[in-house]
This record gives sequence, structure tokens and C-alpha cells, in this order.
Amino acid sequence: MKRIIALLVSVTMLATLLCGCGTQAQSLTEEEKNTIVIWHDKEEAVSEALLGELQKLVPDVTVQLEYKSNLTEALKMVGNDPKAAPDMYFFAHDKIGVYAEMGILSPITDLIDRQTLDDAYVPMTLEAATYDGKLYQLPVYFETLLFMYNRLYMADENVPETTEQLYAYMEEKTRGGHYGFVEQHSTAYYSAGWIHGFGGYIMDGNGNVGLNMPETIAALEYHKKFVELMPGESEYATVNTLFQEGKAHATIGGPWLVSASRAAGMDLGIAAMPIVDESQIPISPYMGVQGVQVLKHAAENKTEAVKKVLNALMQPDVGITLAKVSGCAPAVEACYESEEVTADDVVMAMRETAENTIPMPNRPEMDIMWTVAADMLVNINMSGQDVVTSCEAAQKNAEELIRKMQ
Amino acid sequence: MKKSDKKKKNGILVSYLWSAPSLILISLIVIFPILYTGYISLTNMNVYHWFNYDLIGLQNYKEALLVFDSGFLSALMLTIIWTAVNMIVQLVIAYVLASLLNTKGLKLRNGYRTLLIFPWAMPGYVSILLWKTGMFNSQFGLLNQWMERLGFSPVKWLADDLSAFICCTIVNLWLALPFMITIIDGALQSVDQSFYESALLDGAGWLKRTWYITIPSIKPIIAPSVVITIFTTFKQFDVIYLMTQQAGAKTGAHIHTILTYAYENAFITNNYGYSSAVSMIIFVLLIIFSYAINIKPKEES
Repeated sequence: MKRIIALLVSVTMLATLLCGCGTQAQSLTEEEKNTIVIWHDKEEAVSEALLGELQKLVPDVTVQLEYKSNLTEALKMVGNDPKAAPDMYFFAHDKIGVYAEMGILSPITDLIDRQTLDDAYVPMTLEAATYDGKLYQLPVYFETLLFMYNRLYMADENVPETTEQLYAYMEEKTRGGHYGFVEQHSTAYYSAGWIHGFGGYIMDGNGNVGLNMPETIAALEYHKKFVELMPGESEYATVNTLFQEGKAHATIGGPWLVSASRAAGMDLGIAAMPIVDESQIPISPYMGVQGVQVLKHAAENKTEAVKKVLNALMQPDVGITLAKVSGCAPAVEACYESEEVTADDVVMAMRETAENTIPMPNRPEMDIMWTVAADMLVNINMSGQDVVTSCEAAQKNAEELIRKMQ
Repeated sequence: MKKSDKKKKNGILVSYLWSAPSLILISLIVIFPILYTGYISLTNMNVYHWFNYDLIGLQNYKEALLVFDSGFLSALMLTIIWTAVNMIVQLVIAYVLASLLNTKGLKLRNGYRTLLIFPWAMPGYVSILLWKTGMFNSQFGLLNQWMERLGFSPVKWLADDLSAFICCTIVNLWLALPFMITIIDGALQSVDQSFYESALLDGAGWLKRTWYITIPSIKPIIAPSVVITIFTTFKQFDVIYLMTQQAGAKTGAHIHTILTYAYENAFITNNYGYSSAVSMIIFVLLIIFSYAINIKPKEES
């Protein structure tokens, strides 16, 4: 008897182990068709505001927001499995290429008329959301790096207008544990602004690698003297702490730094990016567009509910609310008619900087470029290696790794 | 005769049947991923062929072998040095500390034990980043605060290869010592005290007692843990990656173990077929390595 029971238990165990493996094809019920699951990786304030707006605007659709800390990896695993994948996800535009190539995204233009989008959005945001000629993201808000300064040290009239003025300021003020200017000098995201300021690029929209372009090399040669007047560490925590604790007079940082600095009681100023003397182009950082991507299975099976949610997200009210909680600039043009938005100096500075920014490339190859470019920058700025040799080696390495992607 | 044979066969069958659930579980968790990685390494699964990949034979291995260039060889050398240095220092310190814990008449013994085990209770990731910013950061780190107070100029601890290697070793020791101390501590307690008594009667000093009694008695007990630790140290990724190469926080040092090297040269490509081939080759290397270690004690015995 005991044996039989034990055997039964083992069989049940095995059966439960394996029962998850089967797949069942079934059509969706009405309730399922009306439920939209959105994955995101945003802070609570943003997700709550988004959920609140959606519940108000589309009461007949049940919207579920699910926080995923490793969203990008999770999507790679389950992207084509309707049972496990979300219907949409809320994320930056720079991963569009990866998922579009994987074939799990639906073009937004299949759901919303292109002309309507062109009329409603800041053109740069739509450009950023386009991969291979197709629009894969409905932009919600965008962010760029800003030139920030601490008014305690740097008066408004002393804010450098050109990079040479900035250098003179740094030379004068960097001493005794104080820094005239700090930035994450050896990470690709921050260095890109300088490279663009010389007319170079890390990778252009067509996937060309530009690490050994004469413009890129010139930018890095020039940037080196600034790095010498900055701390040895180039990571986020060190740079931001130096600025927030009043040890650095100015920095280039994202909107996330604004609220933290103001909360710490700093009289924070925001200015236009300094212009590179040689090229007369301002430092032009990358722009990141946060928005909603629709998965293919949802676009096909839950068309109506998806359309309702997308239309709701196009309302200026949503853009204004989300811009407020995230500290970013709304992507819908109409939002800038609201006084709430125009009164916000950070948002308006970002709107202005957006004229000179370059959308982060959304190609799959960028995953490689972030690492290779960072290695190159570390070699140049921190290990003191020759600029030209480092750039040539990085270019070769990047091209080799890109070849291996396929 | 025949009957007993049949019975024996039945017995074997039944015992396999009883252990079937756990065997299946083990194969699902351990063997299946390895086989699956092997299968993926023969396909062209990458961003461009994510769900519609095909078998392409050994092509990935041909590409993967290119990773094993001179850079890989120096990474392999460094991994071996890293493992050796860490193991030796770890064993010596753990042995000394465990012996001290076993000193007769030691008060607060359990208090010390808890303190020594503490680093183990913290997630490795947190410990590593705490060390990195709290100790070694050139602006805010404790070490540089001391340097400044003592009138020296601040040092970039993680910027050059040698000092970064030493810093990583210290952090790795901090993470790994609790395990070694616990094991050696337990082993020391299992040594029969009567050996020491007779040795004392024969007039053997501390060194002789340690060499002829303690070490031979604890060797068989700590041997498996040493082998395990050699492996974890050999395939260490977190410490070196987080300390010196974390994305956005590179420090300028170029110390690569085979895993961080493979990561930078294969895994960032999002080409799963190719990365799997690299993983399989590293897996085979580890197997050979473990075989080499395992035959050694046998020879000695």
C-alpha cells in the first residue's frame, strides 16, 4: 500500500513538473480582449500617474501596469508568447531595433493614422521612434542632458557660452577639492555630446560606425584637457554627489538630477549647452524618448482596446501629467500651450536643447557600441593611451563584433 | 542462480524508479540547460533570427575560437594567477583565524564567529559596491580620506592594473573567508584531542603538531570545499566586473578573467548561437581543469 501511494505521489510530482510544458491555443474571451497589460521600469510616481490618467480616459479597458526591473531581457525571452508577454511596454526608444528585428513589435501606424501623428508630435520624437522606415513607438515624453550650475558659485552672467570659456573657468576654479565642472567623461552617453559637437558620431542612423572619423578623433583630443581637470572616477554616483554636495560648480546631467538637487536646497541654474569654438556647434547630447510600444500579438488580437489606450496617450493632459512627475518634456506639441509646462524652466530647457540633440540610435548594434565606445574612452581618458590608436582599434573591434551579431 | 539474477535486475530497476523524480529534476535543472546551450551553439539564433533560427553546424565554433586569441590567453593566465593567489591567501588566513577561534579559554567565541560570518549574510553585489565606493573611491573613499589626513595625495586605487588586482583580491577574500573559516573551524573541532595529548607528551612543538597532526587530519574534510572554492574563484565574474568594468563605471584597469573577457567579446553581441559556442568552450575548459585538479589527490594517496 505504502509503495503504491509513494508511486502515485512520484507520478503526480512528475506530472506537475511537466504540465507547464504544453501549449494550448485558444481564442481570447471578451474580458481578455479588454485587458491591456503594460510592462514598464519607471518609478512609482510615473506609473501611478499613467495608470490614473488611463483609468480616467478609457474606463472600459482594464489596464494593468506591471513593473519589470529587467524588462529588456524579459521581453527577449517571452516576446512572442502571448500568454507570458505584455500587450505593450513603456520604455525608451533605443531598444526598438532589437525587438523590431526579433519581429515582436507592431508598427504604430497600423493602429493610428500617420498624418494624425505627424500633426501632433514634436518631429524629433517621431524620428527617434522610427526604425527601418517604420514607426514603432508612440512617444510620451523625452529627455536630454542639460547644462546645470550651482548659483552659489557660478553667477548667471558667468555661465560659459563656449567650451573655451568653460575651460578657462575650470582652470581657475578647480582646486582644493573643488571642481569647476564635472561630467561622466568616460561613458559613451555623455561623451557623445562632445563628439556630435565636432560633427562626429558613435554610430549614425544607418548603422555606420564613426569611432575613427577625423571629427570624432578631433573631439576626443580636445576633450582630453577637460578630463584632466575632472576627478578620476567617471561614474554616476561620484559625479552627481560632487555636484549635489557643492563640490562641483557645474555639470552636464539629466532631468533626474534636477529634483534631487533642488530638494537638497541648491539654487540650481540651467543653461544652454556651451558651443564648441572650433566647429561653432553646441555640445549636442543624445535624446531619449520614452513611450509605448505595442506587441504584435496585441495589435492583432486586441486591436480595439490597444487603439483606445494609444488614443488616450495622445491626449495633451497625459503628456502634461507625466512630464510633471518625471521631470521630462512632453512629446505632444499641444502640451506646450499649457502654462503648467511653459512655466517649468527644466522642461523648456529640454525642449530647446531638443533642437540640437541627436536621437539615440535605436539599432541593435548600439548594444555593442556602448561597450566598445566606453572602453575606448577609458583607454584615452583614464589609461592615457594615444587617441588615434585607440579610436582605430575601437573601430576595428566594433566592426568585428557587429559582423558577429549576424 | 537465475532467480537471484532476475531479482538483482529488478532491484536495480526499482531503485532507479524510486530515484526517477529526483533524477529527472536534476536533469531538468542541470543537464538540460547544458544540452540546450550545446544545441543553441549549433544554430544561428541571434537578434535577426530570434524565433526562426536554423541549424548551421559548427560555424559558431569557428567564430568562437577567434575569441580565444592572445587577449584570451593573457586573461587565462590572469585567471590562473587570480585563483592561485586567492586560494593560498584564503587558506592561510582562514586557518589562522579558525585556529584562533579554537584557542582554549577564548571568551565570546560565538560573538567572533557571528562577526566573521557577517560578510556572508550580505548580498555579494552590495558588498562589492560598498567596497568600491566606500573604500576605494578616489573622492569619497575611506582610504583616500586617510591618505589626505596623513598628508599624502589621493590615489586612484582602481585605475592601474596591479592595485586594482590587489583591491579585487581583498574584496574577494572578504566575501569568501566566512565559508573557509566555517569549514576549517568545523574540521579543527573534529580532530581527536588525544593525538595532541600524546604529541605533547612526546615533546612536539606547535609547528610539529600543526604539520603532523592538524593538517593531515583536516585535509580530507576541507578538500572538497577547497575544490569548490577553486571553481568559484576561477569563474569569478562579479568582483572583477563590478569593481573595474561595470558599464558606465569603468575605472581604467584592464584586468580580465576569462569570463569578463568572453563577456566583452561575445555576450554583448546578442548573438546567442555564438555566445553559446563560447560558453561551451569555457565549459569544456572548466571540465578539463576540474579533471586536472581531481587526479592530483589520488596520485598523492
